[in-house]
Amino acid sequence: MGGKLLLPNELLLMLSEKWTCRDQQLRQLRALVSYDRIGVVQPKLHVQATTPSTVVVYGPHATGKSRVIEAYLESHVTKYAIVNCRECITGRHLLERTVAAVTASLWIGKSEADRDDAYNGRCENIAALVVHLQKLLKMHEKFVLVFDGVDKQRESPPTLLPALARLGEYVPGLETIMIVQHPPPRFLHQTGVPYIHFPAYTRAQSIHILSRHPPDIFLELPTDVPDYDAEVHAEDKAWLWSRYCAAIWDSLAQNAARDLVSFRAICTKLWRPFVAPILAGDFGTRDFSRLLVAQRRLFQDETVLLDSIIASPTLAPPTATGQDKPSKSSAAHELPYYAKYLLLAAYLASFNPAKTDALYFMKSTERKRRKKGGGTARSGGRLSQKRQVPRHLLGAAAFTLDRVLSILHAILPYDLRGTVDIYTLVATLTSLKLLVRGGGLGAGDALEAGGKWRVGAAVSWEYVQGLARNVDFVFADYVAE
Amino acid sequence: MEYEKVYVFQPESERPAKRRRVEPQGLQTSWRRRRQVFDRVWSGQQQAIDARLDGINASTVNKVWHFLERAVLDEQPGRIPTGIILTGADGATGPGIAKQVAERIRVGKHRRILLSLSSSSGTNLKALLKTLIVKATSRRTGSSDDEELDDEDDELRNPRSTGPKLLNYDLQLLQDHVREHRTEQVIITFEDTEAFDGDLLSEIIELLGCWQDRIPFACLFNIATSIDFLQQRLSKAAVKALAGQVFDVALSSVEVEQVCEAMFDTDTPLWLGSALMSTMLERQHDYVVSVDSFAAAMKYACMSHFYANALSVFLGLEAECHDIAADHVVAVRQLGSFKTYARRLLDDHQVAVLKEHLESDTALRLLVRDKVAKGRQKLSAMVQTLKVIRLVQQRLPHTPVSSMSSLYVQAMSGKLIGSPLIRALLLTIRKAPSNIVVTLLRDLMAFHTEKHTPTIPDCQLLLTRFEDLIESQKHSTKPLRSEDDSQNTTLRTTVVAQKVELSKQKSALSEQDKKYTELLGILTSGIEDIFASNLVNPTDLIFHEIFVYDLKSPYREVFTPRPRHAIERALATPHDYLDCDCCGSGQGDEHVEATLAATQPATAVLYQLYLESGSLINASDLWQAFQAVLGDGGEEAETMTLFQRALAELRYLGMMKSTRKRVDHVAKVMWQGL
Repeated sequence: MGGKLLLPNELLLMLSEKWTCRDQQLRQLRALVSYDRIGVVQPKLHVQATTPSTVVVYGPHATGKSRVIEAYLESHVTKYAIVNCRECITGRHLLERTVAAVTASLWIGKSEADRDDAYNGRCENIAALVVHLQKLLKMHEKFVLVFDGVDKQRESPPTLLPALARLGEYVPGLETIMIVQHPPPRFLHQTGVPYIHFPAYTRAQSIHILSRHPPDIFLELPTDVPDYDAEVHAEDKAWLWSRYCAAIWDSLAQNAARDLVSFRAICTKLWRPFVAPILAGDFGTRDFSRLLVAQRRLFQDETVLLDSIIASPTLAPPTATGQDKPSKSSAAHELPYYAKYLLLAAYLASFNPAKTDALYFMKSTERKRRKKGGGTARSGGRLSQKRQVPRHLLGAAAFTLDRVLSILHAILPYDLRGTVDIYTLVATLTSLKLLVRGGGLGAGDALEAGGKWRVGAAVSWEYVQGLARNVDFVFADYVAE
Repeated sequence: MEYEKVYVFQPESERPAKRRRVEPQGLQTSWRRRRQVFDRVWSGQQQAIDARLDGINASTVNKVWHFLERAVLDEQPGRIPTGIILTGADGATGPGIAKQVAERIRVGKHRRILLSLSSSSGTNLKALLKTLIVKATSRRTGSSDDEELDDEDDELRNPRSTGPKLLNYDLQLLQDHVREHRTEQVIITFEDTEAFDGDLLSEIIELLGCWQDRIPFACLFNIATSIDFLQQRLSKAAVKALAGQVFDVALSSVEVEQVCEAMFDTDTPLWLGSALMSTMLERQHDYVVSVDSFAAAMKYACMSHFYANALSVFLGLEAECHDIAADHVVAVRQLGSFKTYARRLLDDHQVAVLKEHLESDTALRLLVRDKVAKGRQKLSAMVQTLKVIRLVQQRLPHTPVSSMSSLYVQAMSGKLIGSPLIRALLLTIRKAPSNIVVTLLRDLMAFHTEKHTPTIPDCQLLLTRFEDLIESQKHSTKPLRSEDDSQNTTLRTTVVAQKVELSKQKSALSEQDKKYTELLGILTSGIEDIFASNLVNPTDLIFHEIFVYDLKSPYREVFTPRPRHAIERALATPHDYLDCDCCGSGQGDEHVEATLAATQPATAVLYQLYLESGSLINASDLWQAFQAVLGDGGEEAETMTLFQRALAELRYLGMMKSTRKRVDHVAKVMWQGL
């Protein structure tokens, strides 16, 4: 802790220039995280500051927590390590990676020969981590260790967080920064831990950040207009982009995409379609209000808010239109005939109560069936006192294999030869998650007698209706309502 | 020898002759030769099928390949380039396109690794990553590496020279591997995407997305259902991490069609009959069955014919026909089709010819050789005619094109000629306008020269006459209309004595139109002649038993067994299987089956009782009934043992289980006849 020196404000200014709207957080960081970067002019500090051993940095998704911390540490601290907890599969993995990251950061600036090759120790638990860190950091006065997203750690032991928070007590000179999204109260089982809050960006802040990098309007500068050079273009795009961002925020993003990343994603997604009329020459670059009215369809369509693996065809660049064709013909990949009937039977088995089976599936004449149950079911004419949720809106119930096979036999228009193919079909549909194993005893074991199935989440009421129409099956006759 | 306790056994130099007769007798003597014929025939067909199946998805593989190439060149930060291959339910099980892509990788210029993950690779993230890393690090990279280089790599890989040891599920290992080998793309294929647990899939995709900036990943998903379904199952972050493009592979029905055509195209000596073929096609259509299974079924049909039918030896090379053993020739005389042939000869008073065939083996051998060759020619001409039918259907407007396989099935059953399909086709030709007919005629001729399909005599002459006729009416650009075209008739309504009469009125036709109708008549009758002469009923051909195979039962027994039915039947009628004297009193009588007897196996007895009871069975009642059936002869302890064993066996077969509802009851799980 040699020079308790205050950093020149220029450096901080430089950082806050890069990370706009985060001045306060940077100042807090400077106060809480000690800095020992050699090579910057360090004026005398008036007050002796003691730094806390643990700092919690929190805030919602996409508020610049990790980036700001990283940038701050890079410019202010000599020795630090950042562990990205999202990449760690288990708690043990996190510990191993921590040791590796610390070792790697200590190696920076050392020659090959100096590197401590023998450092291959296992790190099974937190106690071992403490020992390792003590050994590694013996020679170092100051070390900052950052756990990024530690609240999202997979398979973390319950004591992990409190233990990490106390690392500084056992390892002198170690300062731990934990980056979390929404810390529950007292999640570190420790008091007096300073928190730095990264609030979500406001409207003005979001638009301000986005408008720092406006994308091009023209991919190639127009040649027919003589005076239009890159400088004018830069001016125009900055002017248009900030207004456009504000419009997007007001129409779409303020409700559904408030965080910066999705806001930016939507803005860039809609930008090319938005400026298409300018490219076509219908509007000038400064006709924002007229352009907005002409393109209002873009701001009303909420489908852009949904993420999709495939880029949605309406917004795809015109070069990609040739790829639309396969997605249309994909409807032709149909299930085979008996697979459709089996799914229908499975749906019926899942959503009809078992006690009504005799009513709906008995191979008796229509008249008999009605006499048996059809009359009594709705004989009152009055609505029943108990309000019932329609069955198809509830979750699927489990059924035994024999029940679904019986229903299959009952609903098929002609006799079925029960070959091994039917059982293969059940297995295939199960692997496609259209049927799901579950419910009842021994759900895990496929050979267990009386194992139960359910229809999968994909087999919805609409889907089944489609199947039934496809095979000309009057589905409504068999559904118990 | 007796005094030695231990001695070295020295067998005699010659092994004693085996008692069983090794040398085949009678019709079996030709077995070796038949197998040779089969090997020759099938290897040709297999090649044709493979070529067709490889070619069918060539364009999709090309697209996937281009997509991967592009992914190497321009990377999207933070998103994994993802190819989504819609395979349909049939294709989801096989290796599919990934295999063909892997072939390309081997020859491609970029260094790539292709790793395939299936749902069985691991049930949690750790296991999945372990598999992934093991597969990646143990395999060679895409470009052909020298042996030397590999040896170096091995040294580098195993003990990591720098840094601490890593856990075996740490993707750092993969990153190091990629860096060392300068791999430009790591392609991960998810073979059965649906079978993966949704959370697991999301997690691994998110993780791969994290590493995307260090390891150049690309994913290929095989999807059997739909993209929406996949998106529903993935977490939002996982969906964001993927930048996808859809690829579609050929439908399974198209694949089946290709296999069929491959079989018809090769000069196959054996033709599958209509019953077998339709059963096979039906199964393909009704169930989730891969196309490989269809090819296997064809192979099996071929095998059963050559292995089991001794007369198939006549399908060998013609030069070998002379030394076919005499008993085969005797067997030929027993064939049904030969008998009909003989009857026909007698009716034609060609007794001498028949006598020669009956007495001289050589003559009959020659006859078989000629007629089999002729019959095969007939059948291949028939398949060519089917192509003509498809061509005509393609050229005529508003006519659905039948698939080759369905036409084949109809033709082999001998029902195609005179079928509504053919009649409708001919009628449509009669109504067709001139522009369509001319293109049709031209295509027929082109087809004839290219593929030797049958054609109309004087085709060229007919075409010139058509063309002359069209030339002659230059003033109108409208095509010529046929007299039979319903567009030329109008319905006329007249009211006569308060009754409405409808009468058809032909509109006035030009002179050219009348001539055109005449020419159309010639054309139609020509096409009709082609159909009539070529669409033969295979069962009318002599010796069709030799070159047409149409047995359904072996196929059904082998490819669609009924395990549950077999067990139920064995338990219900044990006598059929045991063939014992004790309970075989009423043989062949259906009613005897259900009777209970103490002599039957205990499990069978218990099964009968099981069938008679309801869904919950009181164990004590069951025991008493069982005891009553087995009689008082045995000791109670012995009967109890039998009872318990039978109960355990039924439980093992999955027929009953204990229930929590009532402790002293067992629950019935299986119902008969499902």
